[in-house]
Amino acid sequence: MLILVTCLLLFITALVLMVLRITQPNARYAWMIATVGALLAFASVFLWLTQMPFEFSFPAWEPQTLFTTPVLFRADGVSWALAISVTALPLAILLTSVTRPVFTNSLSWAGILTLCGMGILAVTADNPLTLLLMWAFLDLTELFSQLSSVNGEQKSERVVISFATHMLGLSLLLWAYIASFSNGSALVFQSMPSSAGIFLVIAAGLRLGVLPLHLPYSSDTFLRRGLGTALRLIGAISTLGILGRIQITTSGFTLALTALTAAAAIYGGWMWLRAPDELNGRPYWIIGIASLAVLSTLSGNPIGAIAWGSAMILVGSVLFLSSVQNLRLNRFLPIGAWSLSSLPFSLTASAWMGRLGLIVPFALAAQALMTAGFIRHALRTNGDESLDDQPGWTKAVYPSGIILLLVLPLLMGFIGWDGALQIGNWIQALIASLLTLGLVWGARRFRIFSPIRAHWVTTAGAGVNSLYQWLWSIYRGLARISQAITDTLEGEGGIMWTLLFLVLFILLIIRGTQ
Amino acid sequence: MSAPIIWILLPFVSGALILLLLGEKYAAYIGGGIAAFLAMIALFVPIDTALLIGSVSIKIAPAIQVFGRSFELVTADGPLLAVLYGLAALWLFGTEASGTAHRFVSLGLMIVALLTASIAVEPFLYAALLLEIAAMLVVPLLVPLYQKPGKGVVRFIIYQTFAMPFILFSGWMLAGVEASPGNLSTTIQSGVMLSMGFAFLFGVFPLYNWIPQLMEEASPYAAGFLLWALPTFTVIFSLGFLDRYTWLRNTSQIANAIFYSGVIMTATSGIFGALQRHLGRILGYAAIAETGLLLTAIALKTPDMVSIVFLTLIPRGLELSVWALALSIIKRRAYPLRFSDIQGMARKYPIAVGAIFFAHLSIAGFPLLAGFPSRLALWQELSLQSLSASLWVFIGLLGLLISALRTLAAFVMAKEDTKWEMNESPIQTVMLGIGMAGLLVLGMFPQSLQPIISNLPALFQHLNQ
Repeated sequence: MLILVTCLLLFITALVLMVLRITQPNARYAWMIATVGALLAFASVFLWLTQMPFEFSFPAWEPQTLFTTPVLFRADGVSWALAISVTALPLAILLTSVTRPVFTNSLSWAGILTLCGMGILAVTADNPLTLLLMWAFLDLTELFSQLSSVNGEQKSERVVISFATHMLGLSLLLWAYIASFSNGSALVFQSMPSSAGIFLVIAAGLRLGVLPLHLPYSSDTFLRRGLGTALRLIGAISTLGILGRIQITTSGFTLALTALTAAAAIYGGWMWLRAPDELNGRPYWIIGIASLAVLSTLSGNPIGAIAWGSAMILVGSVLFLSSVQNLRLNRFLPIGAWSLSSLPFSLTASAWMGRLGLIVPFALAAQALMTAGFIRHALRTNGDESLDDQPGWTKAVYPSGIILLLVLPLLMGFIGWDGALQIGNWIQALIASLLTLGLVWGARRFRIFSPIRAHWVTTAGAGVNSLYQWLWSIYRGLARISQAITDTLEGEGGIMWTLLFLVLFILLIIRGTQ
Repeated sequence: MSAPIIWILLPFVSGALILLLLGEKYAAYIGGGIAAFLAMIALFVPIDTALLIGSVSIKIAPAIQVFGRSFELVTADGPLLAVLYGLAALWLFGTEASGTAHRFVSLGLMIVALLTASIAVEPFLYAALLLEIAAMLVVPLLVPLYQKPGKGVVRFIIYQTFAMPFILFSGWMLAGVEASPGNLSTTIQSGVMLSMGFAFLFGVFPLYNWIPQLMEEASPYAAGFLLWALPTFTVIFSLGFLDRYTWLRNTSQIANAIFYSGVIMTATSGIFGALQRHLGRILGYAAIAETGLLLTAIALKTPDMVSIVFLTLIPRGLELSVWALALSIIKRRAYPLRFSDIQGMARKYPIAVGAIFFAHLSIAGFPLLAGFPSRLALWQELSLQSLSASLWVFIGLLGLLISALRTLAAFVMAKEDTKWEMNESPIQTVMLGIGMAGLLVLGMFPQSLQPIISNLPALFQHLNQ
C-alpha cells in the first residue's frame, strides 16, 4: 500500500498543478505545491523501509481463469534503491528549477511528477505483465512529449524511430512472457525460466540503446534540463529495474552479448569523456552507465545493475540539473565520482561481484572513462549565469537540490537496500579509480581527450548504421514480393487463383483425413 | 411482445422508416438512439421471464413463427444482443461525425436486424440466406448512387454468394451425418463443404483479397462497418455450428483447418499490412488479422474458448469504429489516403491521427489498450498448445505494429514550422475522445466487460466442456 501512497502523492500533486494551471495560470505558489508534493513522496519512500518486503496489486483482471497473473508491485531490497532515486529526481528538479527562466511552467512539473509516479510503478513491477503496462505508458508519454516539442520532418521521424526501438524491446519482453507460458510459469520474474532471461536482457539493451549500439535521441532536442532530464532518466531507470530481477545462465550467446555490451560501454564512456558539455553528452552517459548495468547482470550479479541504475539517475542529475555557477557548490560536485568508483561502502560497491571473466579490463576501462568524464564535466566552468546573480531565497533553495543528489548516493552506500554496506571487489575498484585519476590528469594535457562532436554512431534515424540499412533493404525486398502477390490475387485472374487455392485446400483436408 | 419483434422487426422497420422519412440531420441520433435503447432492454429486461412493474406484468416471449420457420431468442441471448446493439449504436452515432449519416443509419439498422435474425432462425441453416441478404444490403452502403461498383465490392458479393450454397449443402449433408455417424465419406464431404462455406464467409487466406481492395475504393466508415458486422455475426454463427455438432468439435482435421487458417490469416495479413502504403488497405489487413485471431481462438482446446472469443470480439467493434471514423475524417482532406497524401497531417488533425494510432496499436495488441487483454489470454492458451503457432501470431501482430509506426511516421513528418491546429469538429472530437478513452479503459480494466462476458458462455453450453 505504501507504494500507492508514494505514487498518489506524486499524481495528486500533478493533478493539483494542472487544475491550478487552468483556474489560476499565474499562481506563484504552484512551485511550492509541487515541491511539497515531491518532498512528501520522497520522504514516504523512507517509510517503505519499516515494512519491506511488501507487495501491492491492482484489482485482478477477470475472468481470473484467463488472467492468472495479477498486476503486482513489490517493494524490496532491489526496488527500494531505484524508487528512492526516482523520487529524489523530481524534488531535485524542482529545487534547482528556481534559477531557470521558465520555472513558472507548472505543466512541465506536472508532467515530471506523473512520469516519476509511473517510474516508481515501473521499478517496483514484479512480473512481466506489470512491467509491460508500465513500459507502454512511459513509452507513449515519451512519444507524445517528444512529438509535441520537435520541429521538422527529420526530427519527427527520429522520434518515431526511437519509439520503434522501444517497441521492439517491449515486444521481446512480451515474447519472453509468452514463451514462459508454455512452461506453465511466468507469474513473477523470479519464476521465469532462465532461457527467458536472455530475452529480457536484450529487451532492456534495446530500449537503452546498448544492444545494438544506437542513440535513441540526438542531444539537440528541445527538452533539456527539467523535463528532458526526467524523460531520459526515468525512461532508462524503468528499463534497468528489470535487470535487477533476472538471473542469467551462461552460454555462448551470453558471451557474445557481453562482448557487444562491453564495446557499447567503452564507446559510451569515450564519447561521454569527450562530450563538449554534459547535456550534449547525456545520451552517452545513459548508454555508458546502462552498458555497465547490463554487464553486471550478464556477469550474474543483478544487484550491480541496480547500483549502476541508481548512480545513473542520482549522479547524472547532479550535472544535468546544474544550470548556474557557484564556486563553493562546484567544489563539491566531484563527490559524485565516489558513487561511481565501486570502492567499499560506495553506492556501486556491489557492481563487480559477478564473473566478468576476460571482459574485466574493458569493464574497468569503461567505468574509468565514465567517472573521468563526470569529473571533467563537474570541474568545467561553462558560460552559464552565476548563482550570486539570483534572488536571495534561490541561493538557499538551488544548492539544496544539488546537495540532495550528492548526499543521497553516499547514504545509499550504507542503508536501505541489498547493495548497501558492501565491500565488493575492492581490487578492481582500486584499479578503476587509479585509471580514472590518470584519465583526469591526461584529459587536460593530451589533445586526444579534447571535446569533439564528430562520432561514428549517429542517432537511430540517420540510417548510417549498416544494420539499419540492411534491415531496410530486407524490408524493400519483402515489399516487392508482397506487391507481386497482391497484384496476382487482386488482378483480373485473382478469382481463378483463389479458386485454385480452394481446390488445394480441399485436397489437403481430404488427404489429412485419409 | 416477442423478442424477435423487438430485436429484429423493430430495427428493420425503423431503418426503412429512417430512409423514407428522416433527413440527414436527425438520422444518426435517432438510429443510434434506437440501437442503444435495444441494447439497454437486452441488458436489463430478461427474455422469457415475467417482470412485475407496479401492478403490470411484462414478459418478452422468446419466439415467433414466420412461414413455418421459427425465430427464437432465449434468455441467454440477452447479453449477446446487448453487446451487438451496443456496438451498433456506437457505429450509428458515429455516422454524424463521419458525414455518412442518412443511408448508413437506415441500411445499418436493417443489416444488424438481418444479422440478428441469422442468430435467431430455426432451422439455423437458414442463417446462410439471411447473411447473404445482409451482404446484399451492404452493397448500396458501399457504392454511392449512380456510381459503378469497384472490383472490391464485386468480389465481396461474389465470395459471400459462394459461401451460401456451400453452407446450405453442408446442412443438408449434416442431417445424413447425424443419421449415420459411422459413414466417413459423408462426414468428410460435409466437413469440406462447411469449411469452404466458412472460408468464404470469413475470408481466409487468400480469399480475403477483396478486403484491402474494398478499403481502397469505398468509404472507410461504411467498409469498416462491414468489416465489423459480418465477421462478428459469422463468428457467432460458427460457434453455433460447433456447439450443435459434437463430431465437428472432435474431428481433428476440421479443428486443425480452423486453427491453421486463423494462424495463417493473422501472420499473412500482419506481414502484408506492414508493407502497405495506403491507410485504407492497412485498416483492411488489420481487420483480417483480427478475424484470424478469432478463428485461432475458436480452435483452442480450452473450456475458456468462448470467453476468449468474446473478449476479442467486443473491443474489436470499438477499435474498428474509432479507426474508421478517424480515417473518414482524414480522407476528406487527404484523398486517396496514401502515405504521400497524409504527410504531416498530425499537426492539422491531432485527435483523428491520435485515434487512428490508438486503434491501430490496440489491434496490434499494444499493452494498455483494449486489444491487449484478449491477445494475452489467447497467447496464454495458444502457447500451451503450440509455441510455433504463437510465434506466427506474434509475427503477424508485429507486422501490424510496424504498419502503425510507419503510419505515425508519415502523419508526423510535417514541414519545418508547421503550426499545430485542430480541424476536427466538436462532435468529431467528442466521438473520437470517447472512443480513445474506451480503448484505454478496456485495456487497463478488462474486468469491466466481465458482467457481460460472464453470461455469454451459457449460449454455447457444449463448447464450455
